[in-house]
Amino acid sequence: MWMYEKKLQYPVNIKNPDPALAKVIISQLGGPDGELGASLRYLNQRYSAPSREVQAMLTDIGTEELAHMEMISAILYQLTRGLSMKEIKESGFDTYFVDHTTGIYPVAASGVPFSADYFQSKGDPITDLNEDMAAEQKARTTYDNILRLTDDPDVRDPIKFLREREIVHYQRFGECLRIVTDMLDSKNFYAFNPAFDKK
Amino acid sequence: MPVLNDKQKLMRRIQQSCFALAEANLYLDSHPTCKMGLEYFRKHKAEKEELEKEYNEKYGPLTAVQSEGTKKWEWVAKPFPWERGEN
Repeated sequence: MWMYEKKLQYPVNIKNPDPALAKVIISQLGGPDGELGASLRYLNQRYSAPSREVQAMLTDIGTEELAHMEMISAILYQLTRGLSMKEIKESGFDTYFVDHTTGIYPVAASGVPFSADYFQSKGDPITDLNEDMAAEQKARTTYDNILRLTDDPDVRDPIKFLREREIVHYQRFGECLRIVTDMLDSKNFYAFNPAFDKK
Repeated sequence: MPVLNDKQKLMRRIQQSCFALAEANLYLDSHPTCKMGLEYFRKHKAEKEELEKEYNEKYGPLTAVQSEGTKKWEWVAKPFPWERGEN
């Protein structure tokens, strides 16, 4: 089970609203490499993990991703405060506004709504952990691209924190993959699925 | 950097100590017998508990179960952290 804590993992305090920037950053909420997909990926995959260490890692990183989803949502919320209709129209935020006003809804920057197609739970820990490592790198690239798109230090600071977390998670999933392969026959790691086939 | 009030300063210390704990937690998941890691975790755990106790007494609950009000449900008396200046 989970318990909510009334605090952000890392502070988000943005002085200047910027709806055009919100329309880009929203991809890290509901886009293909966003925090919602990350969280659902790990929290669904953990049941077929073959060791306690990997079960713990998927649970704990999946939980941290929920906190990242909250940080991204706080960024979006603060970037879209107190907008005039003129600002909404001129920034291009009108295409989001028409369906959601300034409510937070998980879509990609392109406007495509969030989909479970963005992740897999394959029931094979080697397959899943390779996906997880790739997913962390893809999210890191997206954060790099967001950093190329804004000079606002109030936005860059929490985005840089989130970018760093992708790198740490990549490292930890790499260790998990090592733990899983250490349990297997090094002559052929792929001879069978350790979560399904009985040895 | 904006000037922080006392409540925000205490929140920063809680966030720092929770971050140290979260980092140690993930590290220990894959290195469960590392003595230095375990020691680091225990040190920050004690620090976090102390800081959260101080926060609860001065500024209200961080989790719903920490609410202790007899006249008013404290959980709804304080802002949520996505508001600017409240995290």
